[in-house]
Amino acid sequence: MGTIKAVFTYTFREHVRHKVWLSSALFGLVLIMGGMIVSALAAEERGRILLDLGLAANETIALISIVFLTVHLILQEIETRAVFLILTHPVVRWHYLLGRFLGTLAAVSVGLAAMGIIHWGLLHALGWGGEGSYLVAWLCSFGKVAVMGALALLLSLALTSEAAAMSFSSFFWILGHFTGEIRFVAEKSGSPLMRSVLLAFLNIAPDFAHFDYRNAWHIGTIDPHWALAATAYAVAYAGACFILSVQVFEQKEF
Amino acid sequence: MRTLVAGATAIAATLAVQPFLRATAPDFPPLSSLPSTPYSLQDAALVSCGLRTVAADLAWMQLLQYSAGGLPDMPDRPGRPYDHVKDLALRVSRLDPSFHRSYLFAAGILAWFKNVDRPDEAVEVLQEGLRRDPGQKSYAMYIAAIAYKKKGDVSKMTAILEATLDDPHTPVEIKTILANLYKSRGDFEAALRVWRAILDDNTASREWPRARLQIAEIKNLESPGRGQ
Repeated sequence: MGTIKAVFTYTFREHVRHKVWLSSALFGLVLIMGGMIVSALAAEERGRILLDLGLAANETIALISIVFLTVHLILQEIETRAVFLILTHPVVRWHYLLGRFLGTLAAVSVGLAAMGIIHWGLLHALGWGGEGSYLVAWLCSFGKVAVMGALALLLSLALTSEAAAMSFSSFFWILGHFTGEIRFVAEKSGSPLMRSVLLAFLNIAPDFAHFDYRNAWHIGTIDPHWALAATAYAVAYAGACFILSVQVFEQKEF
Repeated sequence: MRTLVAGATAIAATLAVQPFLRATAPDFPPLSSLPSTPYSLQDAALVSCGLRTVAADLAWMQLLQYSAGGLPDMPDRPGRPYDHVKDLALRVSRLDPSFHRSYLFAAGILAWFKNVDRPDEAVEVLQEGLRRDPGQKSYAMYIAAIAYKKKGDVSKMTAILEATLDDPHTPVEIKTILANLYKSRGDFEAALRVWRAILDDNTASREWPRARLQIAEIKNLESPGRGQ
């Protein structure tokens, strides 16, 4: 536990020193610029568009941050041989990996929280009182970021190439939002082989299409069973990716 | 070995939870149900990046642009003003079925705008609203108002439209239509009330100049010379 905490702390500090928080500034700029366009083009739906644009920008910036940071996380330490130094100490490999992952996730979450507070403050300053729950939307974005972080970690260790890991992470991000469409095509497909391939893809890709409160905000109240299922799904999917990452990492020879 | 067992357990848990997640999550219409427009690639790109509501918001702005003067990519056929309003409204609502104002806005144009008069298309849009966005009473009220319009019963139609003014999603276009209906029937007091309500509504600022002009004009009609 002590090792995990130590690795977590130094990872978190490392990211903060690398100015991850600058993403919040970028977010603020996107939001203000977006707000200016919105106020000119959609007066009656100003609140709605500011909400959607802000939540989308918040999540997208956090996603880019987590994928970029996680892909670099271990590969850079392997390249610079810093990992040798760490692993010569009595550090269990999965403790090291968990500390690194959680430290990165915490740094990105702080940025996500800062962006959320800016956005929420802006909405309330403009007198917009939405019916949905901002906290649930924020937690869903956090869940997606955690899942993508774990997936990017697995891909970076399995592929050992930053460019390939980033490309595949983006591919899974898109595939994850297409699960509804893939299921639709699978159901319409007349070929059992094609249907099996599509269903296999459905099970491998993270199911973001059904995990997204942000896109369902305006529909109204959420089903508590859904919130429970979404939490369990995020934990299980991120856990599976992390455990597979540990398996790949333990097989590496340093 | 322990890692592999833990991994297999986590994967099994993911696969076990997935059907519950799918069953309890709100469902969106598939992309293939979107009407074909020159903006299909834009919609698909945004949805595939998880930006479905942003795609709907952009589609809404394009609907507003089209209604305000047309889109260069979507010219109207001769003699068919607002030719693509229905398709553009359905595009918004199939991206985000809870975009109440889109259904009402399009139905208002199709049913009541001068030289448009396509109430059947308006009813189709509203029926889509009833199906995909349940719980909004305005859709059924608009359908009833259109039915009275087709029957020629203007007083019942205006009574229903008046009742929809309480809905915060009622587009300002419907309010202006109602005010003009009152004015044409000589009910200047009711027309003034609706125009004043538009002036009090901060989100309806694009109709404020017209509201001021109409208020002056109606006052003048009520007692010639007073509104000037």
